[in-house]
Amino acid sequence: MQEPNFKAFQKDLRRAGIAPRHIKRATVELREHYEDVVAAGRHQGLDAAAARAFANEQFGSLDSVVEAMRAQPELAVWSRRFPRLAMVAYPLACLALIPAVPVFAGVTHASFLARWATCLFVGGLVTALMFLALQLALLFG
Amino acid sequence: MAQTNPPFMSGVPELLLLRLLDQREMYGYELVRSIKSATGEAISLGEGVIYPVLHSLERNGSLKSRRKPVGGRTRVYYSLTSKGRKRLNKLQDDWQRVQSGISTALEEGFAAS
Repeated sequence: MQEPNFKAFQKDLRRAGIAPRHIKRATVELREHYEDVVAAGRHQGLDAAAARAFANEQFGSLDSVVEAMRAQPELAVWSRRFPRLAMVAYPLACLALIPAVPVFAGVTHASFLARWATCLFVGGLVTALMFLALQLALLFG
Repeated sequence: MAQTNPPFMSGVPELLLLRLLDQREMYGYELVRSIKSATGEAISLGEGVIYPVLHSLERNGSLKSRRKPVGGRTRVYYSLTSKGRKRLNKLQDDWQRVQSGISTALEEGFAAS
């Protein structure tokens, strides 16, 4: 049995959509846990290599931890927990904010910027509605 | 990691973790060992499999965690919150009801319908 591969474990968790803070903490905890199992092996009178082999045997593959974390939806990144919000509302909110930015940026030319922003907003809105229609078609189609 | 318990054990790790953490704060390795010894080795959770349960319980407010440096290493200690205590009471009641129902069925058998 090989030593647990924590780099591959982190990669698998990222691929499973687990939030970075849970990945980081789970890795720290599992590393510590592994070292505790090694220490327990040493405590039983095993030499360093045998204690590692004992810990590897006890620990096995980390795939089941990945599966267990994947099965807890609350550990996922927000875009996985709220896919509709991430795919529809969030891009729309960003698009709506784009024309507002120059208005907030230039107070002295506010009227000119407001006209320009309105045109941009309408253009953005049309594009957003097209994307929204596409997203809805993907979600409910 | 080896499957150490049968599928009907679903929900049991949560109950045991909450019960142990009701006594004092503990870290992952300590919890795995405590479950093993407290259940007379009848229940043995795979090394590391408790972490997703712990994270999930913390996420829903049943547990809180803190990092504590111990002998040059960082341990993440978990402790029970008031919400966790309520959850523990509910799970204990549920478990006792199920246990009593199964015991009755095993002792008296099923009436032929």
